[in-house]
Amino acid sequence: MATFINSKTIFRLLVLPCLLLYSSIAHNSSSVEATMHTNNWAVLVCTSRFWFNYRHMANTLSLYRTVKRLGIPDERIILMLADDMACNTRNKYPAQVFNNENHRLNLYGDNVEVDYRGYEVTVENFLRVLTGRHETSVPRSKRLLSDEGSHILLYMTGHGGDEFLKFQDSEELQSHDLADAVKQMKEKLRFKELLIMVDTCQAATLFNQLQSPGVLAIGSSMRGENSYSHHLDSDVGVSVVDRFTYYTLAFFERLNIYDNASLSSLFSSYNPSMLMSTAYCRRDLYQRRLEEVPVTNFFGSVMETIHTDAAYKALSRKDSGRFKAQMSLDQSVHHHERRTLINVNDQDEILNTKAEDQQGASTCPFTSFYEKLRKGENVDSLVNYGLVAMLPLLGVSSWLFQ
Amino acid sequence: MPEISEVPELDPKIMRKTKPGLKRLFLTHSVLFSFLLGFPFLWKSVEIYRSPLPFREIDSLSTHLRSNTLLFPLHFHAIFIGFDSDADRLRYSILSEISKLTSQNLKCFNNYSLSVTVDSGSRCLRAPITSPHSCPYQCGSITAIDFDPVDDVAVDERLGSVFGRKIKEYSVVVVKGENERAVVGKYRHAWMVVGGGMEVEMAAMKVAEVLVKVFVNGGREEGSIRTEFMPVGADGNIVLSFNLLNADPRDWVYDWDFQKIDETLLAPMIGALGPVANISVESQVLYHTPKASFSYWNQKLESHVFSTKDLPFFVNSNEWHLDTSIAAGGRSKILQFVVYVPSAKECPLLLQLPNGEISKTNGFISPMWGGVMVWNPQSCLKNSENKTTARHAIPLQDLENMFEVFIGQFRQLFGFRSVNVYAGGSGIWNLVPSERGFTEWELDVLSRQHTCFNLHSCATTLASLSRLVQSLPRMIIMDEIGKQVKYSLEAAKLAQSNASIGGYGFSTTSSRQARSLAEDAFFHPSIMSVSYYSFEHCFAVYSPFFLPVSMHVVLAALRELKRYKQEKAKYLAWKAKANASS
Repeated sequence: MATFINSKTIFRLLVLPCLLLYSSIAHNSSSVEATMHTNNWAVLVCTSRFWFNYRHMANTLSLYRTVKRLGIPDERIILMLADDMACNTRNKYPAQVFNNENHRLNLYGDNVEVDYRGYEVTVENFLRVLTGRHETSVPRSKRLLSDEGSHILLYMTGHGGDEFLKFQDSEELQSHDLADAVKQMKEKLRFKELLIMVDTCQAATLFNQLQSPGVLAIGSSMRGENSYSHHLDSDVGVSVVDRFTYYTLAFFERLNIYDNASLSSLFSSYNPSMLMSTAYCRRDLYQRRLEEVPVTNFFGSVMETIHTDAAYKALSRKDSGRFKAQMSLDQSVHHHERRTLINVNDQDEILNTKAEDQQGASTCPFTSFYEKLRKGENVDSLVNYGLVAMLPLLGVSSWLFQ
Repeated sequence: MPEISEVPELDPKIMRKTKPGLKRLFLTHSVLFSFLLGFPFLWKSVEIYRSPLPFREIDSLSTHLRSNTLLFPLHFHAIFIGFDSDADRLRYSILSEISKLTSQNLKCFNNYSLSVTVDSGSRCLRAPITSPHSCPYQCGSITAIDFDPVDDVAVDERLGSVFGRKIKEYSVVVVKGENERAVVGKYRHAWMVVGGGMEVEMAAMKVAEVLVKVFVNGGREEGSIRTEFMPVGADGNIVLSFNLLNADPRDWVYDWDFQKIDETLLAPMIGALGPVANISVESQVLYHTPKASFSYWNQKLESHVFSTKDLPFFVNSNEWHLDTSIAAGGRSKILQFVVYVPSAKECPLLLQLPNGEISKTNGFISPMWGGVMVWNPQSCLKNSENKTTARHAIPLQDLENMFEVFIGQFRQLFGFRSVNVYAGGSGIWNLVPSERGFTEWELDVLSRQHTCFNLHSCATTLASLSRLVQSLPRMIIMDEIGKQVKYSLEAAKLAQSNASIGGYGFSTTSSRQARSLAEDAFFHPSIMSVSYYSFEHCFAVYSPFFLPVSMHVVLAALRELKRYKQEKAKYLAWKAKANASS
C-alpha cells in the first residue's frame, strides 16, 4: 500500500487553526456517573474509490457482516462505502464481493443496507453523522441516533498518512477533525464508550489528538509503518483483504453472540509479524480494564433486559370497579449478571509510548524553532508570522520588478 | 558652477522653470483612493454574519439552575378524623419525619409546606391556623362511615369530590375504624383506616412516609431502572411502535384490531402524558420473524420454556424489522412494543424466572428500547395439526390483557412499578390504579422530574453552544440559531416561573420546548467545522486578487509623490534664485 507523504504544510496551516481553537471548547463537567449500557451502534466507513481499492470495500463489508451476525441490527449500523465494487465493470463476479480467494463467502449477498455510498462519502457527511448535525430531511436510517447509554464501534479503512485519512482521493480527514467530532459527541452525551478501529497506513497517528474520556482506539500500524494487504485474488485480479482486518475477522469467526471473549484477547491476537505492522492501541482515555470488556460490548449487541413483573391492572376493572391487592412483591428485576470473561492471554501491552528523545541541548535557535514547528505548537502565531512575512516579500518583489 | 552672469543660470539637475504638473500625481492618487474607498466595501462583503446570541442570559440560566435548585412548591395536608390530639404537636412530628426521609440531595429540590387538621367531631383544630394556601377541606365533611373497607374506588371518588380533583395539594386522611387499611387514591390523596389502639405517632410516621416516598418520589424502587434514562426524544416526541410478530405464518397468522385498542386504551394514556411528551402511535404486523434465542421443552409444564438468561438474545434484530417508522423525526424516540406469536413447534412458550416460577406477564423490557411480550394463541394447546392458514384475530380479552402488560412495560420504562402495592418501611399501602395508565400524583412526579431534567439539559446544551460560538469568531451563526436560542431561553424562563407557582403541566410543556429548541440550535446543520470561513481562508482567497495590484498602486502613488516633491523643490529653487537675481 502506498504511503502518502503528509502534505500538511500550507493547507493545514491555513485551514486548521480554527479547529485547534474549536477543540478548546467542551470542558464538560458531564456527570461521570456510570449510566447503563443500553445499545450498540456501528459506523463502518470505507473511504477510497476505484477498482484497485477493492480490498477496502471488502474490509468494511466483512466487518458489517460480522457485527450484524453478532446482533447489531441494520438500523443501528451506518455503512459508508465510497465506491460500488460489486457493480464495477471490471468485476468478474458481478454483484458479488469476496474477501478471500476461496470465494466461499459472498459479502454482498442479501440484506446489505448501504447508508452512504459513492460521492456521498465525504468528510463533511462523515462528521455530520458523528456530530448529528443533519438537515431535517435526512432519514433516521442515515443518522447516528445514539444516546448516553450507547457503545459505538467506528471502523474506518482507506489510505492514510501521518494524522490524516484520505476520503475519495480528493479530501482528507485530519486527526484534529476526528478528535473534534468525538469531543462534540461526548459533549452531547452521544456515546458511553467509543471504539475507533482504523485499518490504514500510519493508522495510529489518527488518534493523536483525541482527548475525550471513554474512547478506545486501535490502529493497524504505527507512525511510519504501512498497512499491507493480505493476499491477492488472481481471479478478481486485485487484493481482496487487508492484513489487520483479515486477522480481526479470523478472531471473530470463532465467536458467536453468546461468547464473552474480552477485548484484550482480540488485541493480543494481533501478531506484528503476521500483520507486518504494529497494531497500536490507545487506551489512556478508557477507564475499564480491557480484560473485563467482552468484545460483544462493541462488535455485537447484547440487550440489557429487565423482566416485567406485573401488568397494569386498571383497564379491565372499569366495570367491576374494585381491585384486590396483589401481594406479588417479590423483587423480580433481574439485571443480567455480567458473565465472567475469559482471559486468553495476559495483557500484551502494545503501547509504545517511547518518549521522544529530547534534543534539549541544542543551542541553535533554528533547531528549537524547528522543534516547535514539528510539534505543531502555536500554529496560530506561526501562521500570523508567516502572513506578516509575506507582505515585505511581496513589497520587495514588486519593487524590484517595476 | 561659478556665478558670473546676472541672469539666473538654469541648472536642469536641481532647478526647473515651470511648475511641476499635477496630472500624474492626481491620476495615481485617485487610483489609490478608489482602492482605499473600496476597502471598506470589501471588508463589509467578506464579513461573517453572526446573529447575536444572548450569552449573558445563557450564563445566567445555567448558574441559576446550578445554584438555586429548581423549586416546586408542594402542599401537604394531613387530616386526622376522630382523633383528639394537639394539631401543632402532630405537625411537628410529621415534619421531623419528613425531613428525616428527604435527606438525599437531588438536582431539583422541592420546598414543602404542611398543614394539619384534627377533626374530632366536635371541634376542628388546624395547624398552622392561617394556612398559606386556601384549604378546601371543611371539618365534618368526611366521617368514618365514608370509608367503605371493600370499595376503594368509591372512597377514592368520595374523597376526590371533597378535596377537589384539580387541587394541587397532597392530602392524607387518617381515620379510626375497625379493619385497618391504607390506600393511595388515583388523585392526590391517600387514606388510612387505623385501629383504635394505634398510636398517633405511628400514624404520623406513616403519613410522612406516604407523603415523601409515594407522593414526592412516586413510589419508585431504588435500582429498578435508573431515573436518568428519559424515554423521551430530544424534540419531546415519543413514537410508540406496536408490532405483532407472527414467527411462522405457515402455522397460523394472527391479526389484531389495533384501531379499537388505540382508541379505547391508548388514547387516554397519551392524553394524560400530554405535557410530558408528544406521543404518537403506529402499528404493524410482521411475518417470518423467528426469535433469536433458544427454548427447550419442559415436560412438567408441558410447554416450551426460555429463561431470563436468554432474554438479551431474544430479539432477532436481523429478522425483526421494527424501526420502519417514517413518522418519527430525527431526534424523536421510538419505543418498540412487540407481541411475539410463537410458531407451532415452540408453542406454548413461557418465560421462566430464576426462581423457577413462570412469569405472569411473559414479557420483558429493555431500557430506552421498549418491551417484548410473548402471546401464546389458544389453538396451540389443542391439536396443532389442523392447518388453518386463515387469518385469526386475537380475541379482544387477550388483546386487553396484552395491552395491560404493555402499559405496565411503558410505566416501567418511565420508572414506575405496576404492582398496586407499595411496601414502605412502616407498612403497606394499596395503590388505586387509574384507567389512564398513570395516576394524578404519578403524573405530578413525572412532570417534576421531566421539568427538572429538561431545564438542566437545555442549560447545558445552550452553554455548550455558547462556548462553541465564542471560541470560533469566524463561524457563521445563522439567524435561525439566534431565534431558536432566544425562544429556548424564553421557554425556560416560563417553565421556571410556572414551576415556582406549581403549574405542573405548563412548566413541563415549556421546559420540553426549551430543551427541544436548544437541541435544534446546537444541532443546526450550518454548524460544521469543515465549513468555517476562517480568517486565513479569507486571506488566502483574496490576497492573490488584491495584494499584487495594491502593491503596485501604493508604490506608484508613493513614487509620484516623491517625484512631485522633487520637482517642486527644483521649481522653488529656481524661483528663489530668480528672485535673488532680480
